[in-house]
Amino acid sequence: MTGAHLSSGQATWILFGLFFGLMFLRVPIAFALGLACLPILLIEPRLDSMQLVQETFNAYNSFILLAVPFFLLAANLMNAGGITDRLVRFSRSLVGHFPGGLAQVNVVLSIFFAGISGSSTADAASQSKIFIEAQTKEGYDLSFSVAITAVSAVLAVIIPPSILMIVWGGVLTTSIGALFLAGIIPGLLIGFVQMGTVHVYAKLRNYPTYPRATFREIMSSAAVSIPALLMPIIIIGGKGWFTATESAGIAVIYAIILCAFFYRELSFKGLYESLLETGRLAAVALFCVGTASAFGWLLAYYQIPKAILAGVSAWELGLYGTGMFIAFVFLVVGCFLDAIPAIIIVGTILQPLAQAVHMHPVHFAMIGIVSLAFGLVTPPYGLCLMIACSVAGIRIIDALWDTILMLLPMLGVLALVIFWPEMVLFLPKLVSPEFLK
Amino acid sequence: MYRKITAGYSALLRWLLAIAVGILIFPVSLQIFSRYTELIPSYIWTEEMARFLFIWMIMIGAMLGIHENRHFEVDVWPRLAPRPQAALRLVSHLAVLVFALVFVWAGIEFTRFAWNRISELAELPLWLIHIAWPVTGVTWLVFLGEQAWDNLRTLIWGAPLRTEEDHSTESAL
Repeated sequence: MTGAHLSSGQATWILFGLFFGLMFLRVPIAFALGLACLPILLIEPRLDSMQLVQETFNAYNSFILLAVPFFLLAANLMNAGGITDRLVRFSRSLVGHFPGGLAQVNVVLSIFFAGISGSSTADAASQSKIFIEAQTKEGYDLSFSVAITAVSAVLAVIIPPSILMIVWGGVLTTSIGALFLAGIIPGLLIGFVQMGTVHVYAKLRNYPTYPRATFREIMSSAAVSIPALLMPIIIIGGKGWFTATESAGIAVIYAIILCAFFYRELSFKGLYESLLETGRLAAVALFCVGTASAFGWLLAYYQIPKAILAGVSAWELGLYGTGMFIAFVFLVVGCFLDAIPAIIIVGTILQPLAQAVHMHPVHFAMIGIVSLAFGLVTPPYGLCLMIACSVAGIRIIDALWDTILMLLPMLGVLALVIFWPEMVLFLPKLVSPEFLK
Repeated sequence: MYRKITAGYSALLRWLLAIAVGILIFPVSLQIFSRYTELIPSYIWTEEMARFLFIWMIMIGAMLGIHENRHFEVDVWPRLAPRPQAALRLVSHLAVLVFALVFVWAGIEFTRFAWNRISELAELPLWLIHIAWPVTGVTWLVFLGEQAWDNLRTLIWGAPLRTEEDHSTESAL
């Protein structure tokens, strides 16, 4: 084979055994991935531990991933600049009079925010603080409030911009512009499905509503919100001229201009905090990209993906069967693993499988990203649910039932994504067919 | 004394991290403006410059992540009493320690390997970037020492966990 010392079976056991073992001992995921590579690098005479450093270096030395801190920074700046309050007012004037008014506002704000921010965890953190207490005060059940906040936060990685799409595009060489466009329809659909779920809950449990906003109120709250809501249009509209990183840079500049001249609420301290928070989250998430890449590199070295897939291809699943299989794998993996290492490790393993049934790379990516987004609210490792629960001060198990109920209709949208590829491919085809080449 | 040093060091790292993110904007905007306007000449080194700063940003954030317990971890354990909790933390510290030593050891090799080389575009000495790995490893060792000491004390004397707050769920604020 490769003249390797270990057989690929042995290497698989060492890599995955060590990784899961360490993860179980609460070793941070990024470190568990790196440490799992170590014994192999020491045993194998052709490799040594410098390979680990070299692989992490190669992963970070990427102009594409640079878009991650920029999109985070743009969202953080908007937040510090006071955009959130204005968007809350605007959402309230739009949907406050629906049954379950405040919870509807919660979902609509998540949709708006998803167009500015690319990180679900950041959304879950900021919206948990806004909504959970306010909702319980108005008589909503606590577990419902936690669940809807967590579940609506996953929209941030499905509606562009999205950090997961940037990583996916960078690692699996898919056009990020096409992914951004492809995420719009499924993202909005999931948002509407969630609003429907809130409607049913509100009817059954008699949740309160707000009086209908007047036309004037809608217009005046829209006027202050629209400059911020133009952000996604700038990001997506610029795709023809700019690389993903450059359009992220433009988003930052736009955010600075908005905060400095239009909203005028950004203080020096707010600026420092936004920069620092951006650095913290981006670095921790991206550090994981490095060790996950080293792990993935070793998997490829032993041709492990091929061995795993040999079994699966024997089933001869068609396009839809494969799509369901891919979604299933990502849903399961998403319960245990952060989305970014999941993309790097599992995404590369499954890619040949998708290619074998001629699944479009953008379609494949959307199945993966939507499934992994759902993983953000599934325990044991569902970051958004963990954040919302910790803000509310309850255990994950207390909010689990409502979360599962809300996930069921969302799984319907995932099924649509799988069985109706045109739904995700329609916008990229319409706007810029050259992305799909 | 030791605690003062780590506190000061982490404060310094926080500033450096914020500054790194702030500076990152410039090479990228320069690149955009130089391509689409005639105002400034197009500099070829901006892209490389941005990448190198980006690497340092990730590494500084990863250093700080250990101090602030922000690296993502999966917690499948039920709520533990302080002592078993401290023991579990020590095991995970041990794993991070091994990883830190690899970064120091392999990182020094990695830096030496780049000693006389310069980057392709900006012609910066490459060791300036490669040295981020051993520096990260050493920084982890410094921060780990403090945390391991706290947990060790809890394990022996059963004192409540004083400094180690669990940021892991808020890590994404």
